Amino acid sequence: MHVAFRFAVAFAAAFGLAAAGSAGAYHTRFVAENCNYAAPTPTSTITRDGSAQVALRARYEGYQWAGGCWNDNDRDDSPGDPPENASTGGEGGDCSGFTFKVWRESLNEGDAGFYQWGMLRDVHGPYTAARFKSGDGAPNVTVSKSVLLKMDALASTGHIGMIYAKNADGTDQIIEAKGESYGTNIWTRTYRGDSSYSGVRRTGWSS
Amino acid sequence: MDNDRHFRRPTSLSFSFRLLRRPDLLGLLLGALAGLAAIGAAGSPGGPRGGGDGSPPALAVTHLPPLLTVPGEPVELRYDVACLTLPAGEEDEVCHPAGSVFVRAGAAGPFRELALHEEPGAAGDRFVASVPEALRTSPTGFSYYAVFRAPSGETVTHPAGGARAPQRSVPLDGVRTIDLGTHRFGHTRAAAARVAEASWGSGPGQVGLEQGRNLPPIGGASFDVDRSGAVHVLDEANRRLLRWRPGARTPESIPLAINGTLADLAVDEEGALHVLETVGEGREQPFLRTFGPDGAARGRIAVAEQGVQVRVGPDGPLVLEQPSGQWMPATSGGRPLTTAEQLAGGRAGRQLRGGGEVVVLRHANEVRLALVSPSGARRSWRLTSETPLAEVQLAEPLGDRLVVVVRVYTDERDEFLVAVLDRTGLVERFSLDSADWAETAPLSRFRLLGSSLYQLGSTPEGVFVSRYDLEVR
Repeated sequence: MHVAFRFAVAFAAAFGLAAAGSAGAYHTRFVAENCNYAAPTPTSTITRDGSAQVALRARYEGYQWAGGCWNDNDRDDSPGDPPENASTGGEGGDCSGFTFKVWRESLNEGDAGFYQWGMLRDVHGPYTAARFKSGDGAPNVTVSKSVLLKMDALASTGHIGMIYAKNADGTDQIIEAKGESYGTNIWTRTYRGDSSYSGVRRTGWSS
Repeated sequence: MDNDRHFRRPTSLSFSFRLLRRPDLLGLLLGALAGLAAIGAAGSPGGPRGGGDGSPPALAVTHLPPLLTVPGEPVELRYDVACLTLPAGEEDEVCHPAGSVFVRAGAAGPFRELALHEEPGAAGDRFVASVPEALRTSPTGFSYYAVFRAPSGETVTHPAGGARAPQRSVPLDGVRTIDLGTHRFGHTRAAAARVAEASWGSGPGQVGLEQGRNLPPIGGASFDVDRSGAVHVLDEANRRLLRWRPGARTPESIPLAINGTLADLAVDEEGALHVLETVGEGREQPFLRTFGPDGAARGRIAVAEQGVQVRVGPDGPLVLEQPSGQWMPATSGGRPLTTAEQLAGGRAGRQLRGGGEVVVLRHANEVRLALVSPSGARRSWRLTSETPLAEVQLAEPLGDRLVVVVRVYTDERDEFLVAVLDRTGLVERFSLDSADWAETAPLSRFRLLGSSLYQLGSTPEGVFVSRYDLEVR
């Protein structure tokens, strides 16, 4: 009985401590330990396919509210972050930070030029999903959804994702930073027909 | 999951032997280890990896298949290829993979190799091949697959099943063309009945919303209606299923051990619940999980690719998967299939329990639909529209008819258009409010049971399922 009691006490203590440690696992210090603030490299041209390649490097990585730094190891290095907490310093972009880096835009909203940001450069950019939806910033314009092309975006007031490919059933494969439970990946979505979403295009592609 | 770092564990044999002589310490140790094991088991994702040795592929291929063609139109096979091995900073370069497409008339016989050419004027690695007329005009259509070779020597086949499960294109001879004209928004049909209803929340009879207050709402991920008429709503935020028996005002709650997220749901003839998750751990593939009607777990299968939809086919659950763009079986005779077996069973159309397949192709403002047998299209339709058409939410046979639900949209509005088609053309059409305040799995908003069409809808107040009775005699 004595052993059983000690077993129960120890079980509860270990379970509690381990669970607490797990819940606190979002303090991975990913940004602090991995990311940088290097200046972007201005580039003369970018292509839609090139931006798709940039986006694919973030595939299987994490999601961080207000974030914009990831590596390319195909796993979320900061799983379980609480949602909508910008201070957790976890891996990944959020939807608009991801789009900003993939579209290779400037922090200066009046500059429509192209800037290559390193994956580990922690930058979100000046635009929220709602601002992308409105076509804010010199590089961005709104476009009718029926004519969207690869790497154009569909944006609502709360989310933005880029078109990676079209499917036979009329859905789109969207590459997006979806949320903490999702990370960054390609998923089939129906944003195109959803009236809460608008078409947005980064201008100036060379092809 | 590294939960062990918080604890000091015995590391020497002598210490372990001392423990055996100290029952009080032994109890403490066993208790601590059991506690850790319980956490580890709950948090470990486990499961097989999705592809090969788990290393990332060198190439990513996308392709929109010309599944249904009309006589006289040119047919080109186009592929976008992304080289995943380009160094960072050189993403706008091309890597010039080599590619061939293997084509044959119909669905059997030897394949003929066609060279894929880099698309003129394209800045990226884009390839195209024209299908020769002899193959294009074959009454049984043609089947094909493509193989790309990266500069590193690695090859990628699309669809992944290759010669065992090529993509198939079927000609639409005798197709019925229906001009839908310009859609009139705001003239929607009222439901015959609201058969299920729940407010948002985590209490009894409520359905949970996912994500935070600043992100688009996700909730009531999917639903299905079983043959008894019971409505099942997947409440993945609360890790459960809510089931409304016919006529019931309140649902039963069935706990489900699922991860979500934006999962799809299909209920089979025996009431088993098939839940298709869409998020795996890292490069691991998501799972198709099966539960008994009481929620007891029956097993899980790692789907071969990215699962989009799950439906019940003639021999168990079928999963629509990307990037192959094919319906793949998950089981055979009740036995879970391996990844290779799933890929080898890929088909362009969804196999129907009554035999044959239904094939869907939306292109611009046109939707093509066909009921297909091994010899070709038995019956086919083209819906053309002045108003843009988005996804085809549902295409289900109803006797010798086909019920179709497609989303109609402009930049400001959207509704669902329901069309009932038969051999003469359009039998019935009406519009439905999109009722999509919260996001669901992409193609999970409609189900057909008999001549009743069910819609999963949502508002800021909650989720509901409405029934519409089709005018079918």
